[in-house]
Amino acid sequence: MKNPQEMRDVYIAGIGLTKWGFYEDQACYDFGSEAIFAALKDAEMSWREVNAAFCGSVYQGTGSGHQAVKEVGLTGVPVVNVENACSSGGSALRLAYLMVASEVYDVVVALGMEKMPRGPIPSTAFRPWELASGFNIQVGNYALETVEYMEKTGVTEEDLARVTVKNRKNGALNPNARFQKPVTMEEVLGSRMVAEPLRLLHCCPLADGSAAAVLCSRDKLRSKARGVKVAASVLVSGVYGDGMLPSGMVDSLLHKPEVGMAELSARQAYEISGYGPEDINIVQGYDTTVPSELWGMEKLGFCRPGEAAGLLKDGKFDLDGDLPVNTDGGLMSRGHPLGATGLGQICELVTQLRGEAGKRQVKKARVGLSHAMGAGPNSSVTILTY
Amino acid sequence: MSDDSKQPACLVEGFWSQAVGEGGPRLLGSRCTSCGEVYFPPKPKGWCVHCQQYTLETVPLSAAGKLAAVTVVRQAPAGGFYHGPVPYAYGMVDLPEGVRLISQIASGNLDDIEVGGPVELVIRPLYTDQEGREVTTFMFQSKA
Repeated sequence: MKNPQEMRDVYIAGIGLTKWGFYEDQACYDFGSEAIFAALKDAEMSWREVNAAFCGSVYQGTGSGHQAVKEVGLTGVPVVNVENACSSGGSALRLAYLMVASEVYDVVVALGMEKMPRGPIPSTAFRPWELASGFNIQVGNYALETVEYMEKTGVTEEDLARVTVKNRKNGALNPNARFQKPVTMEEVLGSRMVAEPLRLLHCCPLADGSAAAVLCSRDKLRSKARGVKVAASVLVSGVYGDGMLPSGMVDSLLHKPEVGMAELSARQAYEISGYGPEDINIVQGYDTTVPSELWGMEKLGFCRPGEAAGLLKDGKFDLDGDLPVNTDGGLMSRGHPLGATGLGQICELVTQLRGEAGKRQVKKARVGLSHAMGAGPNSSVTILTY
Repeated sequence: MSDDSKQPACLVEGFWSQAVGEGGPRLLGSRCTSCGEVYFPPKPKGWCVHCQQYTLETVPLSAAGKLAAVTVVRQAPAGGFYHGPVPYAYGMVDLPEGVRLISQIASGNLDDIEVGGPVELVIRPLYTDQEGREVTTFMFQSKA
């Protein structure tokens, strides 16, 4: 196996995204191709320079990436669709990264796009008896994990609500967010119960949207000053015994793994990049339901188990804190177009690292980390540096 | 419609043995003769995913366990696959053999289910199908 540290450096030359929201009158391919155009423009490149494209989506059907690329240009280059649940975008980015790092290609586009079904999200990867038993209810699955987490750590409903309040406050400064209005603790704690202890405002909303990135070798960068280096791009798909209820997997009680899935993905990303949690200045976390942002920060090694809620309360994860988390409002404000989410996180990191985030710009952002988890199960971690 | 069609139907075959004598119904699992790992539902291929060998045997599981976590789902699952009642209690149950499983929790009062408490296996109707048959499945309920 090749060590990524021995491969050539890879840069994100450009990013593009469409506003997160509902696109009732457009096919996914239409706003998907929009993101590619925007990323090429940002990179100051043309489609003719692109050697391959990896297109992440979940619900878009056969050959959906081709449909988006068809609107941009057909130059005979390979287009590969990547369905990897909530990590589809992160997985597309990783494949693009590996292709450039290994010198197979010089310029590769990673696209994530989704037009979401309305209502609670269905997974077709459950077995028929599980579907008929009511087990394919992701809010319920996260709720059970949350009950266990709260029992273990003493995290309270107020702590959970505080994540929503922070993220919606950040989202209010993001012109691309679906929700750009802050919410109060009272509004969160007074919102409709979906599955105890998770209320409506503990769960990310739906959204359609797309995000793209152009990755290339250093010599292909039009502007060396604007290139953001991919320091690590890691994917771990399941570790035996580490439960992930949204994927229908329970913990092993007899054979607990030494290192869980998310912990392993973080460990690999730190080893490859040479950075540790203490070097990271900004994080895009995985707040599909708000407790997963808290336990995510713990599993990524930013604090010990049970400490994230206290640090959040102390302001550490605020925009002006020591370690801002979900600076664009996260999934709570952006919404969660499954296949696009991972690349949406990348777009925010690149924007922040280049110092172009306007009102929500954080200070001293030099090394950023994004984390997407979810069904599969998958845990993808990307570290970018500028 | 024949009388047979009114007989209750199982939601899934092979996951539990029906009441025999005074023992009552038991879930069936797979246990590894090498590493001791226990799985529910049973794995017909006999392959132990933990120790990577064909070493599984089918075993009856304890009918009593502990409720490790519970929630009340107040919104119907998507996709039209689920025909049971909403809201429903949904939980993680730990059995003494060392296996955790997901199950609906049968209760007359959804707001009165205690995490950490003892639970026992019951086979209960979940819904009535289009032919008028009750479709039964396994659930756990709090022990009195």
